[in-house]
Amino acid sequence: MSNRHRGSWIAGGVLLLVALSSLIVPALSPYDYYTPQLDLISKPPMLQGGHLLGTDPLGRDLLIRVLWGCRISLLIALVASGISVGLGVLWGATAGYAGGTIDALMMRTVDVLYSVPFVPFVIVLTVLFGHELWLMFVAIGAVSWLDIARIVRGETLSLKRREFIEAARVSGVRGARMIGRHIVPNLLGVVIIYATLTVPTVILFEAFMSFLGVGVRVPLASLGSLIADGASDMQAHPHLLLVPAAVLAAIVYCFNFLGDGLRDLLDPRQQS
Amino acid sequence: MLRYILRRVLESIPTLLLIVTIAFALLHAAPGGPFAADKAMLPEIRHSIEARYHLDEPLWRQYLRYLGDLAHGDLGPSFQYRNTSVNQLIAAGLPVDLTVGLSAIVLALLAGIPIGLNAAWRRHTLWDRLPMGLAVAGISLPVFVVAPLLVLVFAVKLHWLPAGDWVHGSPSHLLLPVAALALPYVAYVARIVRGSALEVLNTSFIRTAHAKGLPAHRILLHHTLRPTLAPVVSFLGPTTAGIVTISIVVETVFGLPGIGRFFVTGALNRDYTLVLGITILYGTLIILFNLLADLCYAWLDPRVRLE
Amino acid sequence: MRAGARGLALGLSTALAACSQHAGPRAAAADPAPTIAVGSAAATVQAVARTLDDYPRSLDPQLTTDIPSQRVLDDLFEGLVALSIDGRPVPGAAASWQQSADSRTWVFHLRENARWSNGAPLTAEDFVYSWRREVDPKTASGYAQALAPIVNGLEIALGHKPPDTLGVEANDAHTLTVHLMAPTPYLLDLLDQVYLYPVYRPAIERYGDDWVRSEHIVSNGAFALQEEIIGNRITLRANEHYWDASHVSLRTVVYYSMPDRAQAVLRYLAGDVQFTDSFAASQRPWLKSTLGDQVVNSPWLGIYMLAFNVRLPPFRDQPSLRQALILAIDRAALTRYLKYDMYQPADTLMPPLAGYEPQHPAWARSGQADRNALARRLYAEAGYSPQHPLRVDISTSIQGADERHFFEAVAAMWHSVLGAEVGVDESEFKVLLQNRDLKRLPLFLDSWIGDFADPVNFLQLFDSRGSLDYGGYSDTRFDALLDRAAQEPDNAARYRLLEQSERVLNEDAVYIPLYYYATRHLVKPYITGWHSNLLDRNLSRYMSILEHQGR
Repeated sequence: MSNRHRGSWIAGGVLLLVALSSLIVPALSPYDYYTPQLDLISKPPMLQGGHLLGTDPLGRDLLIRVLWGCRISLLIALVASGISVGLGVLWGATAGYAGGTIDALMMRTVDVLYSVPFVPFVIVLTVLFGHELWLMFVAIGAVSWLDIARIVRGETLSLKRREFIEAARVSGVRGARMIGRHIVPNLLGVVIIYATLTVPTVILFEAFMSFLGVGVRVPLASLGSLIADGASDMQAHPHLLLVPAAVLAAIVYCFNFLGDGLRDLLDPRQQS
Repeated sequence: MLRYILRRVLESIPTLLLIVTIAFALLHAAPGGPFAADKAMLPEIRHSIEARYHLDEPLWRQYLRYLGDLAHGDLGPSFQYRNTSVNQLIAAGLPVDLTVGLSAIVLALLAGIPIGLNAAWRRHTLWDRLPMGLAVAGISLPVFVVAPLLVLVFAVKLHWLPAGDWVHGSPSHLLLPVAALALPYVAYVARIVRGSALEVLNTSFIRTAHAKGLPAHRILLHHTLRPTLAPVVSFLGPTTAGIVTISIVVETVFGLPGIGRFFVTGALNRDYTLVLGITILYGTLIILFNLLADLCYAWLDPRVRLE
Repeated sequence: MRAGARGLALGLSTALAACSQHAGPRAAAADPAPTIAVGSAAATVQAVARTLDDYPRSLDPQLTTDIPSQRVLDDLFEGLVALSIDGRPVPGAAASWQQSADSRTWVFHLRENARWSNGAPLTAEDFVYSWRREVDPKTASGYAQALAPIVNGLEIALGHKPPDTLGVEANDAHTLTVHLMAPTPYLLDLLDQVYLYPVYRPAIERYGDDWVRSEHIVSNGAFALQEEIIGNRITLRANEHYWDASHVSLRTVVYYSMPDRAQAVLRYLAGDVQFTDSFAASQRPWLKSTLGDQVVNSPWLGIYMLAFNVRLPPFRDQPSLRQALILAIDRAALTRYLKYDMYQPADTLMPPLAGYEPQHPAWARSGQADRNALARRLYAEAGYSPQHPLRVDISTSIQGADERHFFEAVAAMWHSVLGAEVGVDESEFKVLLQNRDLKRLPLFLDSWIGDFADPVNFLQLFDSRGSLDYGGYSDTRFDALLDRAAQEPDNAARYRLLEQSERVLNEDAVYIPLYYYATRHLVKPYITGWHSNLLDRNLSRYMSILEHQGR
């Protein structure tokens, strides 16, 4: 494999490793993620003594909690990014290609959804549907597809006038086929970059939403909630912040390298 | 061009109306009211407080009353800050957010564009890997971690900069908040610019120019920059509106009297008028910046026709 | 790839370096707290900066209900009765007073030299106007019903009578008579409450809602409003017309709004503020080791507790089950490990109060092992077992990581001692209020901070006719005792009746006491003229700054 893509393969491997660890290691460890040990509160990492990465404010093993957090956060990252990218690309490409009134209607809808206050929206969701985890996907998905829709629409507008699109139109390609076969593949470069940029935002957004009662229920934790809790204790117990933040940074790095590789692979213009 | 702008301005009216209506409905659908509190209050007394603010009227009447006041530019009294009107709160806080937010956007552009362009031009070298590596760190370190860290290092330990607070016309008080706010956006812009520039640089046009011996800075500035910026502009449209009004974490950590905090605490305290007022402001800014972004986009990419 | 990895390592190590320098007791050599040398003479600059947990909702005494507003108003205004440096009622705008033989009529003599900040004399008529304003439904004050002890106070607040029938009259410019419904031994504590501060009628009539803006406001306290930056800070300057101005040392007081507790600590370390409100429990050990005596925790009149809904399953008609849950919590361990000994474990409703005999339940005397054993017996008696565990949620509001961990620990204790499956259901505050009001929650957070230092303020929580009885507790003996106490003129006898009512309450096991509140302040060593007090009201009027080196 080429030198350039080695990074992407390693990134993919690390992500897989993290995902697998988060599933397997907790089953193998003597510690669980929910039983408090009040005499072991917020201990820093120690290489012997069992708690490799230290303990959390309730004396629970931090490594195990972070791994459980990875489970949740990876799930959120994949599902929410998937929803938002899918919806955003479809919406933006359709609006940009259709133009005219349809474009105006679709993009003004995006403007409206942007402006609707998020906190009351989430509160109403929890009232209507209770504190369910899937609500979080809905809430995040409802918001993050908007940025992608705008970018995709913009790209579509410039793609529309390119020669190969004209050529396709002349040979009878219309509507959905045009969007699906010719426009979307040429957008992938920007879309993938943007999708990988949204991964950390989505994960941290989930931490924000736990302030509203949506998200993982206690005693479960996500990387976002672990980071938020750790940030408030940064001076006294820095490991509480550093460990989940480092894991998040690693995951984000991997997604980005993966994204670069994917883009190189899929973008027709990059294939050289 | 003028007709397009006019059309967009006209479109903004039903858009704003829809925004207000949805926000109004959502706010009133959330349980609890502004005056429910954790203290002894007989129901009759709560009722008389609510009556003072017309909250005992049927919803449609409250809605029409609000629209009527809105037409006169009156955003109503705040339910939390009972001696202060929403207009006063926004007038006090908006300049702060505008100053910090716009400075952050400008910084993001000034730093991010050159970094991204350079990274694309020298792809896969150190000029690419290192900034992009740091960029990812910038995005994955949340602002509620970076901001207190900046305060800890520069204000508490080194005493170089103030730890927070808002003093009119003092650049030293702006430095840390703007840096904390801009960091992820520098990273976003750099990455988007790099990705977009890579595509532009790969076109036959650019490759021909390079083969013909055109110097790097000419290629970059005269031929690459404009098309590269297109997705940046699309991204920045709504982002600018957001950064300007909703940078709540930066406001809290640095003690800046902006309106971002009001938006979240207002919703949590059911301060209907305050949240609606900020929503309208936000909606207007979104519409405005999206329009500006679309106009910019058309200027950058002559193939785009505004309809 | 290598460069990317290097970039990652670079970023992380910088963050690590920055954090590890403040890693707590282990790295004591590199702590950021400056050393401060304090002299004994007064400093040349007499100014203090204090923090508030949020921006004050309003500076109108009759329209505020939040603590940040109370702090600023305590400096801006003064009632008939003021607070001493120890938080006790002392003469304020009123120099002296007498009560009638039946304690239903009080006469207050205002100071001749009491003035507003614009020089105008403060008269009894000002108080009559202000108190009528407080109960007037048109003002829509949040504390209107607190004037129920005054004749017609409640009827006016409910809209049944006009405001001018309030049992207060100005006999002359400096004499005020107050007529009470019943002997009210705690009247003086009531009179130093914010909502009974006088307000300046001409400003209100002229400027309406805007009368509190710095260019219009007129106040009668030790300080006057100089500047207000909405959302950020409020600046006060010494009021030269204040009757006791000669004893006020400070020239300037600035109140900063700092909702982020971590930020308040950072600004304190940087020397921007000298007197903070609140810090997170988990920071206490680190703060104590770096700041020593600057960390202040003192008893604050409040109780942190959970309460049962006795009208709903699973706790309806299940006193054994309720008692089991009360017993199976190791409060000492919780306050020691999770609250770093900041708070005192609680076993009664009423926090310690001078003159009131604490009604310790029987279980307070035994050790935790015995309590756990008894709890298991009661749990089984109630029909529960590991195969048939109790399943219920603790309903609480979203307050922060510390509070969440606390309830997780409580739930874990119930699990390990009893085998009960208890979850923690955090809702947004207003949603919790709503659900509590509707009496829908089986087990919920019911903490309370006293408005004033009297037991009735806590016992009213379980008065079945009141609006705070979220658990639906209704006991005729309890209500009757409260009624009798309300009619009792002798305060000691009254306390005995209230103690009796608390005994009744404890027998019924309707609440789970957890801990008593404590104040949390960081105070620079060069500030004098303040003492910790039960109500945590520290007036700037007594404070002064000693000369010092360092921030």
